[in-house]
Amino acid sequence: MGFFKRSRNQSVEVKGLGSSLIARRLDDVRAAPTGSAVVWQKGEQELVYCFHPGPYQVDVTPFAAAPEIGLRLRFVIEANPRVSQQRFDLYLFSEAAEELGLADLGAAAQGALQHELAQGGLELPPCTSLEEWHAFRAGLNQLLYTRFGVTVDDCVPVDLGDSIDYAAVLRVRATAPVSAPAPACPSAGEGAVRSVPAPAAVDRAADARALRRLFLELPALTGGIRLLILPKGRDTFQSHQAILQRLSLLALSVGSMPSLEWHTPDQPLESAQQLRRIAHSQAAAVALDEAWALLAQLQMQSLAPWLERADEADRILANLEYHLSQRRIAYVDQDEQPLERREPKL
Amino acid sequence: MTPTMLTAHALPASAECRCVLADGRVLTVTASRRPRANRADVKCVVTGAPAISERMQEVVRLARHTESRFDSRDQVVLGMDIVPAAEERGWELAAVLADRKVRGLPPFALAAATSTASSAGAAEHRATEIAAATAVSKARPRATSPASVAPDSPAPGVPRLYAYGWSDAWHLGRVTGQPAQAAVRAARHLAPEDQFIAGDDGSADQAPQAGVTLISHLGALSGHADPSAAVSSARAWFPLHSGGINDTLSWVEVSVYPLEGPGVDEESTIAAPGLDLTVLNTLRQTLSAARHFDGKGLGRWRTVVRFAQPRFQGESYQLALVMADRLARGREFVPRGRLIASGCSSAWHAGRVDTVEGREPKLELILKQAAGGDRVLLPQAWQAALPEQYQKALKARGASLACISQIGMI
Repeated sequence: MGFFKRSRNQSVEVKGLGSSLIARRLDDVRAAPTGSAVVWQKGEQELVYCFHPGPYQVDVTPFAAAPEIGLRLRFVIEANPRVSQQRFDLYLFSEAAEELGLADLGAAAQGALQHELAQGGLELPPCTSLEEWHAFRAGLNQLLYTRFGVTVDDCVPVDLGDSIDYAAVLRVRATAPVSAPAPACPSAGEGAVRSVPAPAAVDRAADARALRRLFLELPALTGGIRLLILPKGRDTFQSHQAILQRLSLLALSVGSMPSLEWHTPDQPLESAQQLRRIAHSQAAAVALDEAWALLAQLQMQSLAPWLERADEADRILANLEYHLSQRRIAYVDQDEQPLERREPKL
Repeated sequence: MTPTMLTAHALPASAECRCVLADGRVLTVTASRRPRANRADVKCVVTGAPAISERMQEVVRLARHTESRFDSRDQVVLGMDIVPAAEERGWELAAVLADRKVRGLPPFALAAATSTASSAGAAEHRATEIAAATAVSKARPRATSPASVAPDSPAPGVPRLYAYGWSDAWHLGRVTGQPAQAAVRAARHLAPEDQFIAGDDGSADQAPQAGVTLISHLGALSGHADPSAAVSSARAWFPLHSGGINDTLSWVEVSVYPLEGPGVDEESTIAAPGLDLTVLNTLRQTLSAARHFDGKGLGRWRTVVRFAQPRFQGESYQLALVMADRLARGREFVPRGRLIASGCSSAWHAGRVDTVEGREPKLELILKQAAGGDRVLLPQAWQAALPEQYQKALKARGASLACISQIGMI
């Protein structure tokens, strides 16, 4: 093992760590650079990462339609002594590849922020008042901590007009041909998975990544929801219990998910069906992101709005259940036309 | 679904959207929601026309790609009362809007409460409505088959939704159509309170007719710019007070595209077809002064301004105009729904917002029309005189309010 033989003198420099690079996977733990923290996950494959706690600074655009106004975030990676597994460690093991660059985390944070603003979980309206800004800041801090495990210590609105020229963006759009292709085969039965355009080639790694995320993160998410402090009352208790039960069943479903390529033993699945399965596992990962964002909201204001949020929780869980069940199904007849109606008569 | 996951859906169980076809007949698309129960997400019923029902399903599914929120719990059943001609495509927009309306998406969020909620105590009003709606849906858990619903004329005063438009790129939310002809055909059927949404073919240089909302993509219903278009157009709404029953929320649209070569006088790059010269001059001065305040606004854009209703008096549209301009230029936070503003200024170059007249009727109108996600901006001077509970009532409808003395952050 040799973890404890590490001597400070031996350590090497990793280029960019602490500025443009946040974390990096290590093949040899003794090669951890000075000033960085090391985390490892034991399992069949041992994974070791070193990361620099920061601080880092990154600009994000809260609205895709307003590219010239942004937010400048400064964040650090801090350990919370009260939890057994740090959220940032889980993020590294679950989502980071060989390296986690500042740009990667910035893009992921921007995606989470834009999605949450579009859904209405966070509000950043025009002519934001001071009160609304504080509410937004609190929500943003909680979202980024719950989702990525980073602690935002400063966030200011910035004018990105110097780096991004919206007029130039529009000029490019005017000259470029309309390229966005129609989503694949939208009329084909249940194959119409939204928001995830079907990739052209079978991308097994994408499916594996999505399922790995679900496998690792669903138990942690369940733990977070279990620990929520809720108002007293029978309805609250029962809906809380129901959510926990459904999450456990979802984790079970992910743990027993059939492999991508096989219809039955010895019978490979055709590639169109594999693409359908991949699209559904990726859509399930999107629903997982929404569940983290919802957990952040519930952690913020756990008292009043529980029953209001219960509908949102129900929607997210129903989406997860739907996508996982579709991922599980080996075969959906895509030629089945809606002409021959075989729906149950009510 | 577990019975404990109770929720009060403030959504209507069914919604209608009408379409006056090219042959003059009125087609009604009826959408209803029911639990999904492992069925298809969209089901379309057009008796005797399988090809059209298939096309309708495809259109609705493609248009759903522009939405950010996915809900697998409901099935939407769409039906038409009459069969349109095979080459007719104007009903496509009606199908898409009916599908959005029944799921309560913007700009139809809480549309059911819009017509009846009065100025004060709208929150309680809405609560009772929800209770009534859930009671009704419990009593009749199964929606009647949409094909069998007769297109009877509803009680007068209940606004109906008309639409005409089609698209070859529904997944991008683009809409086109023949607005001029469609408006002429629909004029016979439209009551004053009805809403008519038509796809814009871009040919209309003249101002659109009153009561017709032209859209070139679906996001324009909330005033948002088309994310794939080379011209950035944003809309903002302002209350148009004309003495009581004719009060409406009217929109102003600012379209910008890059200016070739610098060194042009800012005011000469701003055009507004169909406007009086005096109004045009004020508008040009307003926009160039507000861009001066912005810092990076001058000398970059060629601008076209359109109004839903080009004949009006007063200057309270200015705040809406300035905000639409900032949204179109991509330099302002984007509201989830519409931006509703009233205010003017004698010093736009300093970003100041002054008060305007007609406070009471405008406040009442805004509260009546506000929907989920809307952002209301009013002059700071109105803050002290807001009716009690006004802010709460707006919040209950999902809208937010700010009384501002300056544009920009805080």
